[in-house]
Amino acid sequence: MAGTDSRGRVERRSAGELESEVLASLWATERPLTPAEIQAEIGGGLAYNTVHTILKRLYDKGLVLRDADGRRGAYRPAKNAAELTAEAMHEALDRGPDPIAALQQFVSGLSPEEERALRDLLGRGGL
Amino acid sequence: MRFDVYTPLLLSLLLPVISPAIGRRVAPALAARVLTSAAVLTAAATTWSLVLLATALLGDAPPVVREARENGRPLADPVPEVIGIAAGVALAVVMWRVHRAVRAERGTRRALRRLCAGHPADTELIVAASPVPQAFAIPGSPGRILVTSAMLSALEPPERRVLFAHERAHLTHRHGILVTAATLAAAANPLLGPVRAAVTFLVERWADEQAADSVGDRGTTARALARAALTAGRARPACALNFTDRAVTRRIAALQTPPPPRLWSAAAAVLALGTLPALLAVDATGDLFGLLGSVLA
Repeated sequence: MAGTDSRGRVERRSAGELESEVLASLWATERPLTPAEIQAEIGGGLAYNTVHTILKRLYDKGLVLRDADGRRGAYRPAKNAAELTAEAMHEALDRGPDPIAALQQFVSGLSPEEERALRDLLGRGGL
Repeated sequence: MRFDVYTPLLLSLLLPVISPAIGRRVAPALAARVLTSAAVLTAAATTWSLVLLATALLGDAPPVVREARENGRPLADPVPEVIGIAAGVALAVVMWRVHRAVRAERGTRRALRRLCAGHPADTELIVAASPVPQAFAIPGSPGRILVTSAMLSALEPPERRVLFAHERAHLTHRHGILVTAATLAAAANPLLGPVRAAVTFLVERWADEQAADSVGDRGTTARALARAALTAGRARPACALNFTDRAVTRRIAALQTPPPPRLWSAAAAVLALGTLPALLAVDATGDLFGLLGSVLA
C-alpha cells in the first residue's frame, strides 16, 4: 500500500501530522529504524530530508533517542512518558466503565461470529 | 395548558423511534448534528414541562383556592395534585441524573489531562507503552491523539494513517461536545437514551467518512477498522464485556457502500420534531402564568 499515494497527497499533510506518522512508525516496530527505513515505511513520496528534519524535531522534544549501541543513525522511541501514560490509562480503565469507556474509542469489542467474519474479509482481501 | 404541558413528554417518545433510521440513511455529519439538537431541545422542553406541572401545585395551595372561590369564579384545577407531586419527584430525579452525568464528564476530563502529563505540549500523538490495543482522541486545545504501542504495531502504515485521520476528525469537528450534549439530554430525559446511542455511533461513522476522504480510499479505511477490531478483540475476552453492539461491523459495512446522502428533508423533520416540544412548553408556560395571574390578581 505504501508508496501508492500521489506526491500531492503527502504535501497536504502538515508538519504535525508527519511528526505523528514518524513517531508511530518507530513505535510500531521492535527495532531501531534509520531515516531511510522510516522513509520506506511511510512511503507516499516523502523526501528523505523531511524525515530527517522531523526526526531531529522529535529528538529535540525528547520523544525519540539515537540508538547508541546499534547502527549509526538509527532512532528508537523514548519510553519514559509513554510508560507513565500507560500506567495512568490502565488505572483509569480499571476504575470501571467511566471515564475511558465514555470516550470515542477507535473500536470496541467483537462477538466470536463477528470476529470470524472480519478475519475472512481481511484474509481474502475482500475489503 | 392541559394539553400542551403533556405533549412534550409524548413527543419525546417519537425521537428515539426515528433516530436509528435517520442514522442509517442520512449523512452522519448532518444526522449527528440534527439528532443532538433535537435531543437537547426536547430534553429542555420535557424538563421545563415537569417544572410547570410541579409549579401548578401552587394552584392547589389553600389561599389560592380560597381566593378563586371568593372571586366567584370556580377554578378548574389545571393539574391534578397527584400529577403535580409526581412531576416534582421526577424533577428531583432529573436533577440528580444530570448532576451525576456532569460529574462523570468532569472525571473523564481530569483523567484525560493526566494522560497528557509528561508529553510536550506541541505534539499531536501521545503514545502509551501498553500491550492493550487502544486509541482515542483527547479533546482540548490543542487536541491530542492517544494510541497504545500495541495498536500501532498491529496496523500497517496506511491503516495508521486512517486511525490518525479518524481521531483528527473527532477533534476538528468537536465530537466530544456533541456526545456530551446528547449525554446530558439523555440524563435529563431517559427516554432519549436511544438518541444518545445513535449520536455516539454517528460521530464514529462521521470520523470514518472523514478518514476515508483524507486517505482517499474506503477499502483501506474498512481494513484499518477490521484489523483494529480484531486486535482489540484478541486482547480481551469477548464474553467479559458487553461491548458487542455490532457497532464496528456496521461501520465496516457502511464503508463498503457509497456514503449516504445529505437528506435535508429528513434533517428538517428531525429538527421540527425537536422544536415542537419546545414551542409547546413555551405555550404552556404562558397558560400557567396566565392562570396563576388571574387567580392571584
